[in-house]
Amino acid sequence: MKLSLSLILIILLFSCAKQSADGNAFANPTGQGGSLARFTIVGNYLYTVDREDLKVFDISNAAQPVFKRKVPVGFEIETIFPFKDKLFIGSTSVVHIFSIADPSLPQKLSVAISPTVIRRCDPVVAKDTVAFATLRANGPCGGTGSILAVYDIKDITNPVQRGQYPVSEPYGLGYSDNVLYVADRIRGLMVFDISKPYTPVFLRALTNVNPIDVIPFGNVLIVWTNLGMNLYDISNKQNPVLLTQIN
Amino acid sequence: MKSYISILFILFMSCVRSDSNDQTMQVQGFVPIYASRQVVNTIATEAARSTVRSGKIYAYGNYLFQVEQNEGIHIIDNSNPQQAKKIAFLKVPMASEIAIKEDHLYTNNLSDILVFNLASISSPKLVHRIPDAFPVIDQTFPPFDNTAFECADSTKGVVIGWESKMITNPKCRR
Repeated sequence: MKLSLSLILIILLFSCAKQSADGNAFANPTGQGGSLARFTIVGNYLYTVDREDLKVFDISNAAQPVFKRKVPVGFEIETIFPFKDKLFIGSTSVVHIFSIADPSLPQKLSVAISPTVIRRCDPVVAKDTVAFATLRANGPCGGTGSILAVYDIKDITNPVQRGQYPVSEPYGLGYSDNVLYVADRIRGLMVFDISKPYTPVFLRALTNVNPIDVIPFGNVLIVWTNLGMNLYDISNKQNPVLLTQIN
Repeated sequence: MKSYISILFILFMSCVRSDSNDQTMQVQGFVPIYASRQVVNTIATEAARSTVRSGKIYAYGNYLFQVEQNEGIHIIDNSNPQQAKKIAFLKVPMASEIAIKEDHLYTNNLSDILVFNLASISSPKLVHRIPDAFPVIDQTFPPFDNTAFECADSTKGVVIGWESKMITNPKCRR
């Protein structure tokens, strides 16, 4: 029981990231954010999380958000992450899962208490039935070392860890096709082959950058750095090539 | 829900004045950082500027956006990624968030949610403001339990943050 709770928690900690959608971004009516977002848009609804509440705004008319409701969630809320018809809302210690089967009326499905090793919200991206999370164990997190963790999420209420790879100080992450990018503030921009998702293969790290988050966006990888933003050409997804820095 | 409200109630109740103590006492606590409502609410489109404290990123069509923490949003033309460049700076004091749908950008101006129309990308037009919709920075007490703090005084402006400091005879606690 305890174990499954922990696993659920870990998945919950997905909460921190936005799904990294592939495909033609230009056709989307909405844009794409990075990890650690407090605003997210799903269909005609804008969801925001402040310190304690989830708020729902109807944005069918984009210029005129209509406040629908406030849903008390808890304390020290940090992030919101949509995945299918769920919202994962992460706090520093607890993660809450809501169903948005009725998008205007989020329903709390469950709450989980974070194990001490994962004190912070850890970004996650989901791809089909697999989720990738960076679990940062430095600072208040304590623990045995930061990892890139891979979860089987066929049953979203019962995620099972199937793989991991040691990293140093990871923050955001994102994927494009079979390549996963991890922003690690010590090791740099790390590139993994995830053709076999449960056994990620480390390909290379771009070390001359201090990355915080990534958005794979078509053939361009957008990287939030300590100085501003770097753009990389990822026509060859395994080998990002710096295009420009915007600082 | 009920327990949530009771907890809140307790938090509020814990912020009580205790004027009985006449001795001068220095303790580690928090003081509010104030700004005038007018300064906080001043929205403007300005020339592109350098990034100092990089914040969250967002991609939308041919444009990129990056928060300048607590200052506003850099707007970047990405139609040619090799020569992506800043085209304007949207000054939104205390902004931290971005989301976009159908040429409408949602962000926060401290605790208000703002909507900008991006039809003219280099000079977004503020079309809507929802006051107090996003209270991330608490105006009434600092974001830590079991601490003394200098009571917020709304006549000094709006609270845009809390600073850890040695304070004398704090009147508020949580």
